[in-house]
Amino acid sequence: MSNAELVRLDETTWEIPASSRADMRVPARIFADDEILAEIRDDRSLEQLQNVATLPGVVGAAIAMPDIHQGYGFPVGGVAATEMPDGVVSPGGVGYDINCGVRLLALPLTETELGTRREAVVHELARTIPAGAGRHGALHLRDASLDEVLREGPRALPGVGTDDVERTESHGRIEDADPAAVSERAHLRGRDQLGTMGSGNHFVELQVVDEVIDSQAAEIFGLARGQITVLIHSGSRGLGHQVCTDYVRLMDTRLADYRIHLPDRQLACAPASSPEGRRYLAAMAAAANFAWANRQAIADGVRRAIRVVLGDDAADGTSQVYDVAHNVAKVEVHDGGRVCVHRKGATRAFPAGSEEIPTAFRDVGQPVFIPGSMGTASYVLAGEQGAMDRSFGTTCHGAGRRLSRTAARKQVQGAELRRELESRGIVVRCLSTKGLAEEAPLAYKDVDRVVRVVERAGLARRVARLSPIGVVKG
Amino acid sequence: MFRFVEHTAELELELEADAPEGVLEEARRAFAELAGTGSGEIVECPIAIESPDLPALLAAWLDELVFLADTERLIAESAEISMDGPRLTGVVRGRRGEPRPVVKAVTLHRLSFQAENGVWRGRVVLDV
Repeated sequence: MSNAELVRLDETTWEIPASSRADMRVPARIFADDEILAEIRDDRSLEQLQNVATLPGVVGAAIAMPDIHQGYGFPVGGVAATEMPDGVVSPGGVGYDINCGVRLLALPLTETELGTRREAVVHELARTIPAGAGRHGALHLRDASLDEVLREGPRALPGVGTDDVERTESHGRIEDADPAAVSERAHLRGRDQLGTMGSGNHFVELQVVDEVIDSQAAEIFGLARGQITVLIHSGSRGLGHQVCTDYVRLMDTRLADYRIHLPDRQLACAPASSPEGRRYLAAMAAAANFAWANRQAIADGVRRAIRVVLGDDAADGTSQVYDVAHNVAKVEVHDGGRVCVHRKGATRAFPAGSEEIPTAFRDVGQPVFIPGSMGTASYVLAGEQGAMDRSFGTTCHGAGRRLSRTAARKQVQGAELRRELESRGIVVRCLSTKGLAEEAPLAYKDVDRVVRVVERAGLARRVARLSPIGVVKG
Repeated sequence: MFRFVEHTAELELELEADAPEGVLEEARRAFAELAGTGSGEIVECPIAIESPDLPALLAAWLDELVFLADTERLIAESAEISMDGPRLTGVVRGRRGEPRPVVKAVTLHRLSFQAENGVWRGRVVLDV
C-alpha cells in the first residue's frame, strides 16, 4: 500500500511532487480515475514510479498509465524519457520481453459469414502456432539468417508482404541493431523460437468488431461492425529475455563507475552515450526486430490456419491493421529535444499528422490496440495530440493486473472459467487450466474504465471495440 | 524451505536454509516445482558462476537453470555445488522434458542473500 502524497492536477491526472523524496529528480504523474487510483495504491506501483523519477537525466515526469501495476524496477504501465545523449538508458525500463506487443489482423468476413466454423478456426490456430515451451517454432534459423532477422526484422523473412511491413511500428525495424551486441546465449535461446507465442499472458484471439465508436478512423483502419479480427500478443521470447538479463547484469556492475546511485538494483542503467548504453541500445534494437519478425511469423501462421479452414479468399484477404510495441525504448524528439522514451507496458500513440505513422493513417492518428483480459473486450484506439503534450506520445497497453496469480487461482478454477467462457460462445484452447485461472478477468482491472481514462486525458480516443469469440492461450 | 509470496504481476520467492549452498538448493527446488519434471536418462551439466556479490550469485544461479530449461529442455533434479564467496562451481543433474515456460527471467528487484541470526535467507523476484 502506498502512502505517497498525491496532488490532483485535473479530472484524470495526479502528481507526486518531486519534493516528496530527496532523490526524485522530477515529479511522478499518474493518469487514473478515483476507482483505478484506489487499486493502484494497493501495491508498490507508486513507490516504483517514484524510483523511476530518480534516474539520471530523466525529464518532465515519470509517468504512469491507468493500467499501471507493480512490476520489478519500473512499474508495468510506466513511461520515462531521459535526455540524450547523456541521460541513462535502463534495460529494466524496457523489461525482459523486449518489444512485447500486439498485432491486429482484419479478415474479409463477418461473424455471420464465419458461422459455425469458429471452433474449427480456433482449433487450427492452436495447431499451427506453437505455444508454451521455448522451442519448436515454425522456423529454425541458422546463425546467418538469425542475424539477418536481428538486423532487418520481418523483412528478413521469406514472402513478407510490403503492406505488413508498412503497417508495423517503425516499419518493423529499429535502426542500428547490432547482432554482435546480442550474446551467444541469447542467440541460442532465439534460434528455435521464431513463430512461437510463449506463455503467461500471451495469446492469439479471434474476435468480432462489436462496436464502432469513430467510424471515420475505423474505415481508414479497415474495420467495420461485425467484422472478424485476430489479435496477436507476443514478444521477443527467450532471445529478448536473455538480452535484458545480460545488460542488467552488466550495468549493475558499472554503476559505481558512472557514480549512479539507485533505490532499486533492477533499475541498473548507464548513460546512453556510454559504451554499455550504446551496446544495449544496439542489442535491444536487434531483439525488438526479432519480436516484430516473431509476430510476423505468427501472423503467417494465422493466415495458414485461415486458408485451411476458410479458404484462399479469406486468407488472401486478411490484412494487417497495425502492429505496436509496448515494451521498448526509442529515441524520439519531444518538445524540441532528443529523448530516449522508455515504455514499459505502455504504447506509442502518435497523433494525426505524425510523419512516423503510415501515410494512410495520417488524417486520424496511429492505431493502438488495448487487449482486455481474457474473455473481455479489447479496444482499438487512435493516438491524440494530448499524448505528445502530456506523455511523450504514449498511452496505456492493456487492462493491467489487479490480483496476483495466486490470488486469482484462489478465486476461480481454470475448468470453471473455461466452462463460463464457452457458455458465452468463446472457444478456448490452452495448455494449462491453471494458467487459464491466472489470466481470469477478475485478475485484471476493467478495461473499459482504463480506456475511458486515456480518452478523457486526451492521450488516445476510442475507435472500435472487439469482443472475443475464441482464444488460444500460451 | 522456500515459499512464493504475493506479487501483483510476478513471482516473489523467499528462501531459507542453514547454509548458503542450502539457499541455492531451495531455489533449485522452487524452480523445478515451476518447471515440472523430465524423463529418461540423467544428464549432467558442469556449471561455474562468478558474480560481484552473493545476491547477484543467487540471481545468476537461477539464470543458469532458466537457460538450461530453455535451451536444453533440462529440468535440474539435483546439484552438487561448492561456493567460494560469490563464486560457484559444480554439477547440475536432471532429465530432459518439456519444461513449463513459467519463468522468463530472474530480476534484481528486492534481491537479497545473506545470513541473519545464523540462518541464511534469500529473496528473488522472477519475471513470469
